[in-house]
Amino acid sequence: MLNNKALQVPYGTRDVLPGEAGARRIIENKLASTFKAWGYDEVVTPTFEYLDTFAAAGQLSDSSFKFFDRRNNILLLRSDMTTPLARLVATRLNEGPAVKRLFYLANLFRYEETQAGRQCEFNQAGVEMMGAAGPSADAEMLALAVASLQAAGLNDFVISVGQIDFINGLIEAAEVTELQAQELKRCLIEHDVVRLEALADGSRMSPEQKDLFKELPFLHGGLELLDKVEACGLNNKSSKAVQDLREIYALAEVYGAAGYLRFDLGLLRDLDYYTGMLFEGYAEDMGFPIIGGGRYDTMMENFGRSCPATGFAIGIDRIMLILSRRRQLDNISSWDVLVAWQAGCLPQAIAQCMRLRRSGKTVKLAAEPFNQSEAVDAQRANACDTLLYIED
Amino acid sequence: MDYITVALPKGKLFQRSVELLYKVGYSADNVTEDSRKLVISNEDSKVRFIITKTVDLPTYVEYGAADIGIIGKDVLLEERKDVYELLDLKYGRCRLMLAVPEQMQRPRLTDYAHLRVATKYPNCAQEYFRSLGIQTEIIKLNGSIELGPMVGLSELIVDIVETGRTLKENKLVEVDSIYTATARLIANRVSFKLKFDRLDKLVRDLRKVLDEEEEQCK
Repeated sequence: MLNNKALQVPYGTRDVLPGEAGARRIIENKLASTFKAWGYDEVVTPTFEYLDTFAAAGQLSDSSFKFFDRRNNILLLRSDMTTPLARLVATRLNEGPAVKRLFYLANLFRYEETQAGRQCEFNQAGVEMMGAAGPSADAEMLALAVASLQAAGLNDFVISVGQIDFINGLIEAAEVTELQAQELKRCLIEHDVVRLEALADGSRMSPEQKDLFKELPFLHGGLELLDKVEACGLNNKSSKAVQDLREIYALAEVYGAAGYLRFDLGLLRDLDYYTGMLFEGYAEDMGFPIIGGGRYDTMMENFGRSCPATGFAIGIDRIMLILSRRRQLDNISSWDVLVAWQAGCLPQAIAQCMRLRRSGKTVKLAAEPFNQSEAVDAQRANACDTLLYIED
Repeated sequence: MDYITVALPKGKLFQRSVELLYKVGYSADNVTEDSRKLVISNEDSKVRFIITKTVDLPTYVEYGAADIGIIGKDVLLEERKDVYELLDLKYGRCRLMLAVPEQMQRPRLTDYAHLRVATKYPNCAQEYFRSLGIQTEIIKLNGSIELGPMVGLSELIVDIVETGRTLKENKLVEVDSIYTATARLIANRVSFKLKFDRLDKLVRDLRKVLDEEEEQCK
């Protein structure tokens, strides 16, 4: 008996089987061509990097896979793609246009308890736009996010859009301590509405400010929501954030993407990574977000090249899971022709295969000689639409 | 309109939760703990109930198999699932505490270092001892935690108490309270966004009912 592990794969990894792998390739190709059509260029970075790179970006977590190289440097299997791309742009792409538009298709690694569509090894497609500030870049992100999800085959998704400065403005106005501010933000990230209320009630904010904090997770809606919050008397920072969202939304309307958007002013995804508009997308049949992104203007300075940046990442595995639950995955595990041959006719069969392939057909060549009835069975077993039988 | 799927936990929170949800229009025929049906639907109000084992409930909600659920904060603290915690429902109050056999009581908490602790809540127990700087050996059990010290499996226990009667019966004394927990309304992250209007209304309606009940108690 073989050692049990010899037949298994490690926790959090999986095989992608025929059919599924083909379907994933189709989705990835659709995403890649959408990104290309919007002016983005593909890049590939190493699967592992120095730990220092992720540490410099403040993106170290307990959940990354780490190991040593022969010189005792600590290496890290990439746990996000924004960090490697920031490093790449800062160190390698000094020439060319001032605004860099890049995309990637990559597998990432995080050691955490597996979730639906998020194993320890998982796949993302994403874009980063470096060097562009302001609503035009943010609106492009949202519109491209919508176009990408549509290209991948979804139509019934919702994208929640928030602005970190709206929350920062509320915190500033409330004059809480740095520690309290962090705790309030943590409640939003962890979706702990009960604790958020307790913290607000226990602080020295004005009653109106307390109410606003307690309402934050429930501030969902369209443009009318922005009117409503502006009437609450916001400070300069929060008002600016609302104005920013208005401008982004107006451009998203021009793109035809606004119908998918919904403001969500309590949306927060990470403690100190995002610096402006941020978003997250959801679809039926999947209990986890399928896309996330936003503006991160302070990341690049960690690599010695300060510039504004924005981007997003799509969880390919989650998209796959939704489509397969809906039985909408493209199945390409079929071929046009099986060329089967009688013993002694292999050379003619090969010649026929090559002729058919040159004419654009997908062709399988039988691996051994068959008689006529075996050939018919083989055609079915190999999922070929037609059979070409070669005999003397 | 899509269904809202509500997960209810078997056990002490069950009855009160059914009654509370009934008051805000979330009900169905024969929602009982011993229901033979696994999924109970109300086609008129588009609500569906599933009844789960307590510790599994946050998992159903995290994955979106249920849109919302009612569960004790103790289970949330132990299971650490990424769900919306929307409302403190105030009932099902209980405490997680550290207890020792009467004859083992020691003057200071730090005197309990390097002992073995039986508990159903290994994550919370670990975090508690770590915060005190006490090293212990945690032994995870699934029930009858009081048995641990009686048969020499452990010296200490970390467990949930409501009245403290079980402790007394087993000659255990509470030496520290770790936290107090009550029932919470939780929601799946995506359901909360996609079914926001209905869930927002549910939260507001529940708040109103709870406030009214509190008013009556005064």
